[in-house]
Amino acid sequence: MPVDHAKIKFLVVDDFSTMRRIVRNLLKELGFTNVEEAEDGAIALQKLQAGNFEFVVSDWNMPNMDGLTLLQTVRADERLKTLPFLMITAEAKKENIIAAAQAGASGYIVKPFTAATLGEKMTKIFEKLGWT
Amino acid sequence: MSDFSGMEDLLQDFLVEASDMLSGVDNKLVDLEKNPNDRNLLNDIFRGFHTIKGGAGFLNATHLVTLCHLTENLFDKLRTFEMSLSPELMDLIMAATAGVRSMFDTLERGSQPRTADPALLDGLKAALAGQLVVPAAAQGQPLGAVPTAPPPVTVAPVTVAPAPTAAPSPQPLSPKVGGASATATPDWDGLFQAVATTTPAPVASVAVAPLPPSVPAVAPQVVAAPAPAPAPAPAMPSLPVVAETPEQIIAHAVGRRTIDKPGYQGPPAGRRPEEKTRDNSIRVDTGRLDQVLNLSGEIGLTKNRLNSLRSDIINGRSDSETLHSLDQSVSQLDLLVSDLQNAVMKTRMQPIGRLFQKYPRIARDLARSLGKDVELVLVGEDTEIDKTMIEDLSDPLIHLIRNAVDHGVEPSAERPALGKPTKSEVRLEARQEGDHIVLVISDDGRGMSAERLRAKALEKGLITDEEANAMDERQSYNLVFLPGFSTKDVASDVSGRGVGMDVVKTNIQKLNGSIEIKSSPGKGSTFTISLPLTLAILPVLLVQLGNQPFAVPLSMVREILPIDIALVQEVGGRATMVVRGEVMPIYPLPFLLDWIPERTPEYGVLMQTSEHTFILAIDGFMGREDAVIKSLEDFRPKGVAGVTTLSNGQIVLILDMKELMSNLGGGRGVPRSTFIPPQALAA
Repeated sequence: MPVDHAKIKFLVVDDFSTMRRIVRNLLKELGFTNVEEAEDGAIALQKLQAGNFEFVVSDWNMPNMDGLTLLQTVRADERLKTLPFLMITAEAKKENIIAAAQAGASGYIVKPFTAATLGEKMTKIFEKLGWT
Repeated sequence: MSDFSGMEDLLQDFLVEASDMLSGVDNKLVDLEKNPNDRNLLNDIFRGFHTIKGGAGFLNATHLVTLCHLTENLFDKLRTFEMSLSPELMDLIMAATAGVRSMFDTLERGSQPRTADPALLDGLKAALAGQLVVPAAAQGQPLGAVPTAPPPVTVAPVTVAPAPTAAPSPQPLSPKVGGASATATPDWDGLFQAVATTTPAPVASVAVAPLPPSVPAVAPQVVAAPAPAPAPAPAMPSLPVVAETPEQIIAHAVGRRTIDKPGYQGPPAGRRPEEKTRDNSIRVDTGRLDQVLNLSGEIGLTKNRLNSLRSDIINGRSDSETLHSLDQSVSQLDLLVSDLQNAVMKTRMQPIGRLFQKYPRIARDLARSLGKDVELVLVGEDTEIDKTMIEDLSDPLIHLIRNAVDHGVEPSAERPALGKPTKSEVRLEARQEGDHIVLVISDDGRGMSAERLRAKALEKGLITDEEANAMDERQSYNLVFLPGFSTKDVASDVSGRGVGMDVVKTNIQKLNGSIEIKSSPGKGSTFTISLPLTLAILPVLLVQLGNQPFAVPLSMVREILPIDIALVQEVGGRATMVVRGEVMPIYPLPFLLDWIPERTPEYGVLMQTSEHTFILAIDGFMGREDAVIKSLEDFRPKGVAGVTTLSNGQIVLILDMKELMSNLGGGRGVPRSTFIPPQALAA
C-alpha cells in the first residue's frame, strides 16, 4: 500500500513539551507534517481512540500512563493493534529494549537522535508495513 | 559566540520548561526530607532528572547529561529501595540540583556548561557504588557557605570515611561514559529484532512478559551515555577517593548560585548584565491566546464595517441610518478594544507559584546552615501577577525570606524556653485584594522593638533626637528601610549588613507598590507588600486645576461631591467637611502640589488610601479614562506616578496620592485659608 508521507497522521507523545517540539521538528525535516501531540499515555490513548492516527511516536517515561503501558494497551485494542508504534527510550538499556520489543513496538530509538536516525528507523518500519 | 546558533528557540524552550521542572524537583526534595520513603515523590524526582537529561542530550549538553544521569541513577536506587536516604545523601543530591541549576545559568548565557565539579561527580559515583561518602557534620553545615564564612559553631569535626575494606560492588558506570558513539554501542538493533521476531504475537502480550532466560538481565547502571562528544569524566576508580569533604563538594556546587552567596546583598538598582537574556519567553494558556485571536478577529470585522461606512459617508450618505450604524460600530470597537486589552494583559499574567517554588529550598539551606529548623509555608500560589513583576519581585522576596530566617526566627534550641515549638514557621502568602496583589511574609520569631530601632537609627546618625521622639511605631519600623541601617552590631554573613532592605523598598516602589511592616516583640514580624495588578493599564479619574488636567487612580475614588466653601469648617486648625455625618479632612490639590491657588475649589473627590480617607478639593472634572501608563524613566518628580496621553493627544500627569499625602507628614490636615486664592484674600 503506497502512502503519501506528508499525509500520514502522527501522534507524538511526551510529557516534556520541548521534547515534543524537537520530535515534531525532526518529523517535519523528514517531510511528515501532519502531527498532533499528547502529554502523556492517558491523553494519547484518548486521542488514538477518537482520531484516525496512523503512526505513534511515544516517549517511555511519563506520568499518569507511561509509554510501555500505552503500547500494551494499544496492542490489546482491536481497532488499534496494528498501529505503527515507535518507542523513544532515554538510554540503550537492554531490558528496556526487550520490554519494548515484547510489548510489540514497531521500533525503538534512543535519545538524543537526529533526523537521519529517525528517518532510518521510520523507513524500516514502513518497509515492514509495505508503505514504501 | 553562542554555542547554540540555530537552536536558540529550542534552548529557550528547554530552559523555561526545565527550570520549572527543576524548581519542582527542589520543592519535592524539601518534601522528601520530611517523608523519605514516599514513592511518588521519589518517582517524580527521578522523572524530573530523567526528562532534563533527555532534553539536554538534544542540546549536546554532555556534562548536563552526565550529571543528571548520575543523579537519576541514584533516585532509581532510592525508588526501588535498594538504597535509603540519609542526610548526607540528601546534601549530595541538593548539591547535584544546584549543579544542574548552575549549568542552566551557563546555558542561559548561550554557552555549553563545563563539566560538573569533579568532587560532586565522585561523590555521586561513590554513593551509587554504595559507599556513602562521609559521616559528615550534616547538621549545621553551611550549605551556602563561601570560603570567607566563619565556621558555624555547631559543625562537628569532619572525618573522612575509611574506605571499606571489601568492595564487592561492581563498577557502577561503564568506563565508556560519554565516549560511546552510535557505532560503538552494542548491537541493540539485533537484540530488538531477535526479541521482536521471537515474540510470537505481540498483540497477545499485554502483560509485561518476564524476560526470557536466554537474555540475562543487565544491571541498569551499565549504561553508555548516548553522548556524541567525549566527556572528560574520569574512569571510575573501583574505590573512589573522596578528595573533598562533602562540605567542600556542596559549597563548591552551591556557591555558584549568586543568590546563595551569603555576601549577596540584593541586586543593584539596575538589572544584572547576565540577566539580560533571561526569560524573554512566556508560557501562555492556549485558551487565553484563543481569546486574543477571537477578539482581534472581531476587531477586524468591525474595522471592515467602519471602512465601508467611511466610503458611504465620503460619498455623501449621512442619513440617520448610516450615522446610527457608525455610532454602533464605534461603540462596538470600543468594547472590543477594551476586551482585547484585558485579554492581552491576561496573557502576561502568571501564577506567582512559579516564583514561590524556589523559596522552600533557599529557606531550608539557609536554616540548616544557621542551625535553625524552619518551615516555609506557601499560601496562594495560584494568585496571578504580571510576568515583569514576577521577575522583579524575585530578589526582594528572597531578601525578605532570608531576613526572616536569619534575623527573624530564633535558633531551635532557644525556642522551647520561649514557649514556642522548636520548628519555626515563615509564611509567604499571596492574594488578590481588589485591583491589588498583596504579598505577606511573616515569621513567628523575635519580632522587632520600635524603641530599639529608634535607638539604633539615632546612634547611627540616621535620624535626629527630635525625629526619634516624634515617631510612632509604624514610622519606627520603617527605619529599617533607611540605607545603612542594620540592627545587628556584627553583620551576619548570611543576610547581609542592612544594605538590602532599602533596595527591597526601592524595587517594590519601582513596581508602584508599597511595603509595610508590623511587628510585635517576641511574637514575630510581618512584611506586607501591596502591588498593582498590572503595570500597563490604570483606570483614572481626570480632574482639573484651572485648565490643567491631572489623573488620579480611580481605585481610590469613592465619590465626587460639590464643595460649598461656606460649609468648610476648621476643626483644630484643619479644614474639614461633614459628609453624611462623618467629618473628613479636605486637602486642596494646589496645596499638595505646592501651587498657588487661582480660584476657590468647587468640587471634592472623596478618596481612600490604605491609611487615610479625605476629600481632594479641585476645580473641575474631565471624566474617567483607562490610562496607559508611561513611566518617566530617570526623572520622577515626587508625587507623580507616571504620565499618560489623552484621546486628544494631551499629556497628563498621573498623581501618586500616597506620596503627595506623605508631604503632609502623616495627614495632619491643612488650614482653611489654603483654599482661598491670594488675590481673593487681598481683595
